[in-house]
Amino acid sequence: MLKRTTWITAMAVLVLAAACANQKGPATKAVADAEAALAAFRDDAARLLPDDLSAVDSTLASLKDSLAKGDFKAVVAAAPDLSSRIAALRDATDAKKAEWEAANAAAREQWSVYAADLPKMVEAIQSRVDILGKARRLPRNVSQEAFDSAKSGLDWMTTTWAEANDAFNAGNAVDAAAKAQAVKDKGNEVLGLLGLAPAAS
Amino acid sequence: MASEEKPEVADPTKAAAENPYTQHYVVQKGDTLSKIAREYYGDAMLYPKIFEANRDILSDPNRIKPGQRLRIP
Repeated sequence: MLKRTTWITAMAVLVLAAACANQKGPATKAVADAEAALAAFRDDAARLLPDDLSAVDSTLASLKDSLAKGDFKAVVAAAPDLSSRIAALRDATDAKKAEWEAANAAAREQWSVYAADLPKMVEAIQSRVDILGKARRLPRNVSQEAFDSAKSGLDWMTTTWAEANDAFNAGNAVDAAAKAQAVKDKGNEVLGLLGLAPAAS
Repeated sequence: MASEEKPEVADPTKAAAENPYTQHYVVQKGDTLSKIAREYYGDAMLYPKIFEANRDILSDPNRIKPGQRLRIP
């Protein structure tokens, strides 16, 4: 009787071991496939949907941990859900990328207008600020407070315009155009402070 | 020369490239650059700034003519 029990136990261990060994290949492949699928669009996802990517990465890390601990069954069980989430993230990233590229193309067109216009606006304001800075008194239509605001506004415009150029040169025309519009708005305000009529747009 | 008596107009090709944000002023009878500088800058002594910005149509800061369109930098 004892011999029979021992034999059954040994067989059970062997079957279990065989089952585990059978799961190792699929588990390893599931993790490798998930990593490869994510790698194909990781950069875009990191830029466009960083939170969603982080959530998927967290699940993938959990599966890799299970794989390292030899819990192949858990990996194989969780793999389909991870695969679905990666596919959903890829679709969302593709949609977001198409949306971003369309917005960027429109912003590039806007940028060409700003790039031709704003340096002239800054130049005109800089010229007037420099001249008024040398005046013994300000003209009747410009108070000292307005002149001081105009000077700080010009500083802001110069800094923000440089940031806009950096954004455009980095390929982010949307951000560049938004900053350029802010510079234009501030410029119109400063032109008013200096008694200069804003140019017709 | 007769042409010197006419108000001078800036070269149209240059005008096209001009800064659209630069202010302009059309000279009236009795104006001087000092008077214009006092009006726009609050300081008549800054008239050379206007003269320098209009060297293409002014050769003498003491000679401006009604009808001339001056840049006020």
